[in-house]
Amino acid sequence: MTARVTAAPAVGRPSARSARKLARKTAVYVALIAGGLAMMIPFLWMLTTSLKTRAEVFSSSPLSFPTGLHWENYTKMWFALPQVTFGTFFQNSIVIASLATIGQLVTCSMAAYAFAVLEFRFKRVLFALILATLIIPFQVVLVPNFILYRYLPWPFSQSGNWIGTNLPLWVWAFFGGAFGTFLLRQFFLAIPRELADAARVDGANPWQIFLRIYVPLARPALATLAIFQFMWSWNDLLDPLIYLRDLPTYTTTVGLAFFQGQFVGKWPEMMAGALVSLLPMIILFVVAQKYFVRGIALSGLKG
Amino acid sequence: MTALTRLGDRAGRATSPGQARPHGGPRARESRWALLFLAPTIVGLAVLSAGPILAAFGISLTKWDLMTPPQVVGLDNYARLLSDDRFLKALRNTAFYTVVSVPVGLTFALGLGVALNQQIRGIAWIRTAYFLPLVTSATAIALVWLWIYSPTGLLNNLLATFGISPQRWISDPTLAMPSIIAMSIWQGLPANVIIFLAGLQAIPVEYYDAASVDGAGRRSRFRHVTLPLLTPSIFFTGILALIGSFQVFDQVYVMANPGKPSEATITLVYFIYENGFRNFKMGYASAASWLMFLIVAVFTILYFRTQDRWVHYQ
Repeated sequence: MTARVTAAPAVGRPSARSARKLARKTAVYVALIAGGLAMMIPFLWMLTTSLKTRAEVFSSSPLSFPTGLHWENYTKMWFALPQVTFGTFFQNSIVIASLATIGQLVTCSMAAYAFAVLEFRFKRVLFALILATLIIPFQVVLVPNFILYRYLPWPFSQSGNWIGTNLPLWVWAFFGGAFGTFLLRQFFLAIPRELADAARVDGANPWQIFLRIYVPLARPALATLAIFQFMWSWNDLLDPLIYLRDLPTYTTTVGLAFFQGQFVGKWPEMMAGALVSLLPMIILFVVAQKYFVRGIALSGLKG
Repeated sequence: MTALTRLGDRAGRATSPGQARPHGGPRARESRWALLFLAPTIVGLAVLSAGPILAAFGISLTKWDLMTPPQVVGLDNYARLLSDDRFLKALRNTAFYTVVSVPVGLTFALGLGVALNQQIRGIAWIRTAYFLPLVTSATAIALVWLWIYSPTGLLNNLLATFGISPQRWISDPTLAMPSIIAMSIWQGLPANVIIFLAGLQAIPVEYYDAASVDGAGRRSRFRHVTLPLLTPSIFFTGILALIGSFQVFDQVYVMANPGKPSEATITLVYFIYENGFRNFKMGYASAASWLMFLIVAVFTILYFRTQDRWVHYQ
């Protein structure tokens, strides 16, 4: 970047040039910050609304700041539903997202290792097939998968099958995935072959090479996959909506949608709920932004 | 599908040195290891994705409410879909959503990508503000935008300061879909911007230097250096946006909750959800999902066909 600046042909007197440059730089800052604030408006408005009273929301100008900080909206929201609190939804989301993340980490890294390091027949066909599933709208398999889960027995559920349990929301993750396999394979390909070859000479088998060399070296890529899978599970609405039947099993997103249906017009509580449901992801993003950016840039995928 | 096979080729080339390894061991033994590593993936592919796609077609030829055994009805479901007004509206709304949100979203993202590519102090913090919508659930975001769009909401108040009369952004049939699109573009921006930023940063500085030496100005450098070299990123975000735009559901669900969307906002995926999981018409929902699959496949193939004409790989 500096090279580009110094390489630019010198035009005009130096002082005029630097003044123009300063003006340009200021304009860039102002524009970028103003744009950033504009992007943040929905978040800021969610926050200010969540701290107002209901009367205040409708009487005062929406642009005004709350007169007092009405944090009680958050407690009201948290305990608004009978028999469950918002904490139950959080717990359910954490359990489902964690299990799905573990499943993807284990099975995608295994598949990625096979595609990156091992030689076998039909390797290219199989890899192409997996990539193809990336561009297939998953809604095509909604009905057949629902029927499959309806026939899988489960003694502890009311229905006697997987419907109404959280199993359909995470068991699939233990059977590979296109995004994770592709992402990790790219990373594994960059690991020098010599490391594996040396281990092989020392008598290590592929499983040992995978566990002792590839997995430890791929930690950044594994973190990227973990973060994305956790986020996707956390934010998913359609699947939990289809499979979860009872309020105590709801995830945060379905809980929030249910909450919305029950509390039409109670904007402060609703905004408090929306903000609380987003908070874990926002914190994760601020802490691990580079993994998000790398994951998207590397494989170009979004949720 | 050409790009997929091309990717497959690259995979083959990248790993071919392995075949020449002197101490690779018998190939058959390595194949057995590969099978072990791939077992979960192969089962998943067969039982959870490839198999179900075929099963969905089979189910689409039946009438099945899950309570009584399925009855084979041939292509009846498809014929009924094509005369079902709600399905045709869903198709039209989804097409409208795609045609507007993809080009507009990508144009905004491209401009923002170029703007955020400045190497200035504090750029990381500034980028964070733009990237934040990336991690948010469409459910919570739709809830916020529902409030922004409400009759007494932020948007009408902002417009009032310019003397514009309040609009019914969600309940007015002509405004409802554009309102949903605006919200989705806002939420979809970060992912596209990040891909464009990665593409921009991969352009060698020498190209800009050479263009500057030749007397190219800022605008001309953008047109003749940045834009052509960014076409792979544009192609890539295009395919993702195209596929994603057919899958819009969450926003539509929340905007209509606790009711169901009117004919002004129903989308294909909502139609599938409504028929499959609210009305338990498994055959009918499968037929709709197969039509959606075909439409997406045709558009994807057509889109891939255009790439030789406008995408420049370095």
